[in-house]
Amino acid sequence: MKILVIEDDKKVAQAIKKGLESESYEVELAQTGEDGFFLTNARKFDLVILDLMLPGRDGLEILAAVRGRNDKTPVLILTAKDAVEDRVVGLDAGADDYLVKPFAFPELLARMRALLRRGTNGQVFKLKLADLDMDLVRRVVIRAGRSVSLTAREFEILEYLLRNQGRIVTREMLARDVWKETQRATPLDNVIDVHIARLRKKIDEQAETRLLRTVRGVGFILTEKES
Amino acid sequence: MKIQGSGVRRRLTLWYTLALALIVLVFSLSVYVFVKSRLFRQLDQQLDMESSVIAGELTEDPVDTRELDPDGSTRLFQLVRGNKILFRSEAIQKAGLPEILPESNEKYRTILSGSGKRYRSSTATTPNGFLLTVALGEEGVRTTLRTLFMILALALPIALALAAVGGYVIAGRLLEPVAAMAQKADKIGADNLSERLPVENPEDEFGKLAGVFNRTLARLQDAFERLQRFTADASHELRTPLTALQSVGEVALQENLDAEAYRDRIGSMLEETARLTRLVESLLLLTRADSGRLLLNRKGQNVTAIVEKAVDDMRVMAEEKSQSLTTELAGDVQADIDEDTLRRAVVNILDNAIKYTPQGGAVAVRMMERAIGIIIEVLDSGPGIAAEHREKIFDRFYRVGPDRAREAGGAGLGLAIAKWAVEANGGRLEVESRENQGSTFRIVLMK
Repeated sequence: MKILVIEDDKKVAQAIKKGLESESYEVELAQTGEDGFFLTNARKFDLVILDLMLPGRDGLEILAAVRGRNDKTPVLILTAKDAVEDRVVGLDAGADDYLVKPFAFPELLARMRALLRRGTNGQVFKLKLADLDMDLVRRVVIRAGRSVSLTAREFEILEYLLRNQGRIVTREMLARDVWKETQRATPLDNVIDVHIARLRKKIDEQAETRLLRTVRGVGFILTEKES
Repeated sequence: MKIQGSGVRRRLTLWYTLALALIVLVFSLSVYVFVKSRLFRQLDQQLDMESSVIAGELTEDPVDTRELDPDGSTRLFQLVRGNKILFRSEAIQKAGLPEILPESNEKYRTILSGSGKRYRSSTATTPNGFLLTVALGEEGVRTTLRTLFMILALALPIALALAAVGGYVIAGRLLEPVAAMAQKADKIGADNLSERLPVENPEDEFGKLAGVFNRTLARLQDAFERLQRFTADASHELRTPLTALQSVGEVALQENLDAEAYRDRIGSMLEETARLTRLVESLLLLTRADSGRLLLNRKGQNVTAIVEKAVDDMRVMAEEKSQSLTTELAGDVQADIDEDTLRRAVVNILDNAIKYTPQGGAVAVRMMERAIGIIIEVLDSGPGIAAEHREKIFDRFYRVGPDRAREAGGAGLGLAIAKWAVEANGGRLEVESRENQGSTFRIVLMK
């Protein structure tokens, strides 16, 4: 998978590049609008991560040029402007998704996966991790052969974690995708922590291995592997 | 702004003087006309008296003119019978008055002598059929009138000049407070917003004006102080996580730790980053709300459903503290509101209520539809809010106790955001509370 990252801030660009490479993506960096414009024109990428505020050539211009060539490469824009109007402008210009700075890296990965998966997504009825099974049709969860009774919300959280198993899920991702909360900085973070604690109690307490872990300062991860 | 010798003062004086001139002119004219007619009436009465005296002496026919007009007499008269002049007194001839024939029926007339002097004459028919004309000089009357005219003509400009000068001085005096106010107001800036304009008499117009100015200044000062406090508080709040970040990072670098411990330190730093992010997001939201750049999508929404969702979201928090969270909601209430902001208001208020209500307490949410609008109440059995804090709890970063909210994890912006969110939906947020008797937060959504 080849990813083009157009981002002028060196530190952020390097961090994204390293992070993506450790997830086995192939990353090309462009640190000016001109470079980015040239690269999108000259080569083919699976996905473009585009910062909107760039020296030289504005991110929206690059986006317009890409879409003008009828290039359907998924574009994820990064922006420090989170006013609704700014997002709308970006999406109107043909971006597939946006992420507001500062963002959590796991969230960037989740968005990228969603964009790369687009169109190839098959319907899933069952999710599984180690001895944890979830039946989405019958809405049943079984851990080590024992049925676990979950509230609707807990079920949704576990489903989300299972779909992203082995990867970190941030509180923000949960707020947006499970609670459908579009605003940031709400008291929901504490609510999420309580739900996670309860969920952990239900699925992990009586089991031999712990599956649901907290990654301090980042979020949660559902995994078999000991860290 | 310069008032001294200004247009106002000059205009005031000018109008005042003009009005006075008009009044004095009309008055002088009336006096003159009145005195003139009065003097002539007197003269005419004198003529009549003279006439009747002569007529009384004029008994026989033919007339004894020697008796009527003895030598040295100053009587001015003539006698006519038919159209023939019978007799003219010596004085009348000396005065050079022309022969007066009764051309018209006018009784009193002013006639000119040969030397150009004015005489007043009165003509009447005597009982024995003579036409008697008596004359008197108008000299005295004319002189009096001329003097009167001179006096009036001289007095008018003097009076006006005095009035103008006086008026100018008085206007200046009256406008002095305005000039003083202007001067003072000119000197009030950001550095001395606490100063006020002098109020000499709070009852008069200038006093009222100064009062208005002072109240405006008070509001400005209040806004300014709030802004300053806000900036100070914001930088303090920002500095706290930054300090934590820096010190945790620095200490971690100095120590020789294993991977697990480093991971823990980094996690700790990320927690602070998250705190910073939340704070910046909240501040941005409020700033944007202040500048009116936040677009709300107010449309018909089911308020009951929104409140229910907010309560459901927060229910686990109450459960964690073994609090009872009960609802009493009117069904399917509709209103034109922005769903996200209203939910946020309810969530923030609930969060606050649960946070400050002790373990095992009770929180209740009530919603009802009344004539004035939709009322959403959040009642708690917490410690209540002392009167001195009640007004301020909606201020940004305001904390009732020192660091009370920080321990509970907040930055002191929750209620400020809730207040904004309610007001953005055209409602108002009130609080009712008594110490140790819980608090009630009330959202009133006007219809």
